[in-house]
Formats: sequence, structure tokens, C-alpha cells
Amino acid sequence: MKEIIKYLHIIIFLLFGILTSCGNENDHENKLLYWSSNNPDEIEFAKYVVNKWNKENPDKAFIKFQPVPEGQSSEEIILAAVVGETTPDIYSNMWQGDVEVYAQAGVLFPFDTLDGFIDFIYERCDSNVVEEIKSLDGHIYQIPWKINPIMMIYNQNIFRELGLSNPPHSYSEYLAASELFKKDADGDGYVDRWFGYSEVIVTWWQRFFDFYPFYLAASGGAPLIENDKAVFNNEYAIGVFSFLKKLYDNEYFTRERLSARQDVFLSSDVATRFTGPWEIVHAEKFKPEGFEYDFSTIPVPDGFEGPIYTYGDPKNIVIFNTCSNPQYAWEFIKFMISKENDLKLLEITTQLPRRKHLDTDSLYLNYFTANPKMKTFAKQSKYVKGTDSTPVLKEVFDLISQEYEACVIYGVKSPEQAINDAANAVNLLFIE
Amino acid sequence: MNKKAVPYLLVSPYIIHFLIFIAFPVIFSIVLTFHKWNIISPMEYTGFANYIRLFQDALFLKSILNTLIFLVIHIPLQIIVALFLAEVLNQKIHLRGFFRAAFFLPVVVSGVVVTILWQQLYGFDTGLLNKILVTLGFGKVGWLIDPKIAMPSIALMATWKNVGLYIVLFLVGLQTVPKHYYEAADLEGATHWQKFFKITLPMINPTIFLVVILSTIGGFSLFIEPYVLTGGGPLNSTLSAVLYIYKQAFFYYHMGYSATLGLFFALIILSVVIIQKKFIEREV
Repeated sequence: MKEIIKYLHIIIFLLFGILTSCGNENDHENKLLYWSSNNPDEIEFAKYVVNKWNKENPDKAFIKFQPVPEGQSSEEIILAAVVGETTPDIYSNMWQGDVEVYAQAGVLFPFDTLDGFIDFIYERCDSNVVEEIKSLDGHIYQIPWKINPIMMIYNQNIFRELGLSNPPHSYSEYLAASELFKKDADGDGYVDRWFGYSEVIVTWWQRFFDFYPFYLAASGGAPLIENDKAVFNNEYAIGVFSFLKKLYDNEYFTRERLSARQDVFLSSDVATRFTGPWEIVHAEKFKPEGFEYDFSTIPVPDGFEGPIYTYGDPKNIVIFNTCSNPQYAWEFIKFMISKENDLKLLEITTQLPRRKHLDTDSLYLNYFTANPKMKTFAKQSKYVKGTDSTPVLKEVFDLISQEYEACVIYGVKSPEQAINDAANAVNLLFIE
Repeated sequence: MNKKAVPYLLVSPYIIHFLIFIAFPVIFSIVLTFHKWNIISPMEYTGFANYIRLFQDALFLKSILNTLIFLVIHIPLQIIVALFLAEVLNQKIHLRGFFRAAFFLPVVVSGVVVTILWQQLYGFDTGLLNKILVTLGFGKVGWLIDPKIAMPSIALMATWKNVGLYIVLFLVGLQTVPKHYYEAADLEGATHWQKFFKITLPMINPTIFLVVILSTIGGFSLFIEPYVLTGGGPLNSTLSAVLYIYKQAFFYYHMGYSATLGLFFALIILSVVIIQKKFIEREV
């Protein structure tokens, strides 16, 4: 019996020790919870920045970091957290297109009510970016954090073989190069080398890699939706559908899904794709020996002049309204997206901070000199668009995607008819 | 303890499970059909708006039609193949145990894995099936990219995936047929086909009924295959009703509308099963 009592004392003593040793973190008066995405690079960045903040700012909020819990998608997890009122104080991977829904549900904190925010945001971003992130009620519920502009990746080896000194800039150049490259390599009577590839399934976000960047490029960054009305029934959208339709009609692109095969770009089965800077990490890891590639702007209509826009896939930072101290959260966010930490973001994650003068700022010059492919994206970052502010954005892209499939891939509708039908269907969303 | 309370106590786990996981979701879904709700905003009462929208929704009607096309191909194919293989595996053949296990294997493999495997087989350019066709001098088939063929392709794949389960059911059915019926038929000089049609089929009718019901309900819930393989395309030709309901709920958060679609679709399944039951019971 004495033995048991002795061991019990030891266990109680150990438990007491463990519990009291946790006290420093748990007892902190201003503890804030921060969720990042669960991408390993972003976790590394978040750990770096949180540790630095907690070390340098012991008198301010203590930030507890955790990656967004595992789930089918981070979006679903955030949704579940909102419903269950278990949202973090700060979340750093909010897709810009989702913000309006959460803003209208009243679960986000408006940054523009904070002292000094407006000056800060104009210091960081161009005025068109500030306009883009404004919600329909005029408030700003998000801070532009990072972008991954969609550009054309091309196989330099193939281009040299085809005698192309420059990547195709216009629709005509792209079509001409496509005709040069298309071939039936195995002689079975079917084309098996295509100039480009884009996912053919109708899932709404697939159009971020074909229709949408092409539309932004052709139109100089025009919106799809304005004042609860579809504004894409125009020459640009019809032109994009016509151009992309030719790619499928002439077998320059395949109607087959190639996603289950080995990377068709790295295997040189396709010569171009439309993708973001994440492709660099992937290509450097898996490319065959001697494989050379580079990036260029999205092809534009013949005779096009002016800056070539593209989709930027923006991911932003939000504060949820469950946050006990938005002022402290804001101070941490300012620290997290400081110029120095934006450089860290670039170095660790190969993603671009959404800030002006990125390609010319002296702080980033060394990075871009060492990573010339990223410099191309940095230059493009001046001309990126996110998404329009509307709570029905996914439905809008879904409707466009349905018409895209009917017209571009299967040719059962003319471009004019398809765009008109998509615009009419989108307008019905706002009536409902 | 009060003796009268014991039975209630014993059934309480099921009752609690039923109330939480069956009764509440069903009642909540019915309530949802009269509301507009995107999960994060408060519910908004909309009366019968979701029901009116349902009957105007051409894509939902198309998804039901697609599901029926799938069933029309899948159920007979499933029964014929499963019955044929069960008949073969009921004979004393070499490696019978191995073949029984091999045919059952796809049933226990994840649907996503099976789908990805078939994606390789169905590939237009590099797919194994088209390679064989070209080698034999035929043209390539757009298994998943031709809107007319995509749904039959999915039905074929679903049959391959599920046939093992129905083979087992038919094997059980076949083994319950008394042997003396066959012995008597042999004495009368009946052929193999006569024995099959006059003895086997009538005797395993309850099993056929079970297989029809199970494959009908399973077929109506077609989801993983089009979700992974085609996303509902090409041209919505493989958009099943469940995939459409899922998209409404979890792509666009139209919870009220998707609940309405779900309820309507559940009623269709119930009606079909009742009709099947009456029809097949009469046959039995």
C-alpha cells in the first residue's frame, strides 16, 4: 500500500509539473490564434514569422499558430469553423472570391475601421487593388497578401526545334505555332502531340487557367460582373471563346483529360500550359535532363496594345469577428506582411507578395537576380486582377464553364451564342 | 432496477442513434426545403420557391435522365454478368477459390482507386482499351470524351466494380436450389439450358429480386465515378442526380435547394423500389 501511495505522489507531482510548465503560453492575456494554409512551405513561413513576432513583441499579443486543420479543402474547414464558431482570430489563406460571402454573413472584421489602415493599404498596394478588395458595402474585410499570376509556360527545347525565337504573343502566332507542333508521333492516325493543354472538366475554378486569364488579357483587366449584372457579353469574351475553340477544333489541344498521366508538359507531349509560379518548384524537381522552359504573358488578340493582364489567384488575410482584440491582430498582420517578411515569403514559398514595385524594390533585387523566372512573374504582378466582389462568384464561373464546354470544347454552340447564354444565366442569378 | 425499464434501456442505443442520425437529419432536410440557406447566414423562409425552381431546372431533369440511362444499362448487365459468373463459379472448376476472391476484390477496393485505374484504361490517346482496338485494326473510341458513350462507359466500370458482390449473392442462391430437382430433370433428359431456365431461374427469383433492389438503389446513388472521372461531363452527359445535388450543396452552398432535390429524388427511388417490389413479388 505504501508503495502505491509513493507512486501516486510521484505521478501527481509530475502532472503538476507538466501543467504548470504549460502556463506561460496558456495564461497569456492576449493570446490570438492564427491559421495558415497547410501547405508545408507556408507552414514553415508561418512558424518563422510567428516565432519572430512572439520573441520580439512579448508585451503585445501572443500568437498561437496552427495550420488549417486537415479536410477535403481549407474552404470547407473555414466554413465548418464559421458555423461552429470555432474560427481562428486570423486566417491567411482566404481566396479573394470567398470574402464577399463571409462579409455579407457578418463574420469578418472590417479593416477600414482601424486607425491608419487606409494609409497602410495605399502604401502597400495600387489604388486599383484597393478598389478590387472593397466589398459591396464599401468596407474592406481583407488584406491583399500574396498572388500567383497565371502565365504561359513554354518548352524552350521544342520552340528551338520549331524555329521559334520568341514565345507566341498573339492569337495568330499561337495558332501558327500550334500547327507547326501538332503531330501523330506514334503513327496510329491520331494526334498525340498538342501545342497546349488545359483541363476540360467543367469544375468552375478550372476556368482560372484558360478562359479567365485570356479574358483579362484581351480586355485589359475588365470585370465579369458589375453592379449585379453580367458585363462579359462583349467582343473580348467572344474573341477568347473563338480563339480557344479553334485550338480544340484543329486538335491543337486535346479533349482528353491528361491529369492522370505523367506530367505532359515535362514529358514534352505538350509545348505550353497556363499556370502559376508553383510550376517552377515542380519543374525543377521533376524535369528531365536538358529540359529548358520559361514563362511568358498570356496570348492576346492580334493588334492588341497595352499592358497584358492576367488572373492573380489572390489569397488574402482576414480577421474573424470572433477575434477578441482586432487591434493586436492587425499589428501582427502588419508585421507579417512587412517588406522584410514578404521577402521571406518569397524565399520560402516561391509565392509573390501582393505589393507595388515588387520587381524594382531594392530589397527584392537579389532574390530576383538569383531566381530570374520569378522575376517574370514579378513584372507580371503589376498587371494582375483578382475576382469581382459578388457572393455568387462560383455560380458565375460555373455558368461560364458550362458554356465554355459546349462552345470551346465540343463546338455545339457558337461563341456569340454561348457567351450570350452565359450572360443571361448569370443575370438570372441576381434576379433570384 | 424497475423491470419495465430494462427493455427500454436495451433499445435506447438504437433509439438514440435513430433520433440523432436518421430522424433529425430527415426532419431538418424537410424544413430546409422551405428555406434559402448558405450555412453561414441565417435561414430565410422562401415558401415553395425551391419546389418551383426544381420543376424549372432542366439540368436536374437531365441528371435524373442520365441516372436512368445508367440504370437501364447497369442493372441488366450486372445481373447477366453476375449470374453467368456465379453459375461458372458454382461448378467444380480449377482455381475456383482464387477466381471467387479475384472477382470479389474490386468490391473492397476504394471507388476512387478503381475510377483512377479505369481512367487509365479509358484514355483516348494512351488508354489500354484504345491501344488494343487500334492494334486490332479498329478506330479509337472516345470512352469518356464522347457524350454518347461516356455514360455507358461509366456503367461498364460500375458493373466491373460491383459484380463480385452480386456473384456472392447468386452463389448463395444457386447453392440453396435442392439438387434432387436437377437429378429429376436429368432423368427426364432435360438439357443444360432447360434446367437453367426451368429450375435455376425460378428458384433464385428471390435473389434476383434482392440484386435488382440493391443495384437499383446503388445505381441511383451514382456519384464517385462521374465525380472523379468526368466531373459530370462531357456536356453533362454523366451528371448523375446525386452529383448534381452534391454540387448544389457543397460547391454553391444552396442547402435549401439541394435538400429539395434530395427529398424529391428520395421519393423517386422509393417509388421505383415499390414498383419493383410489387412486380417481382408477383413473379415470385
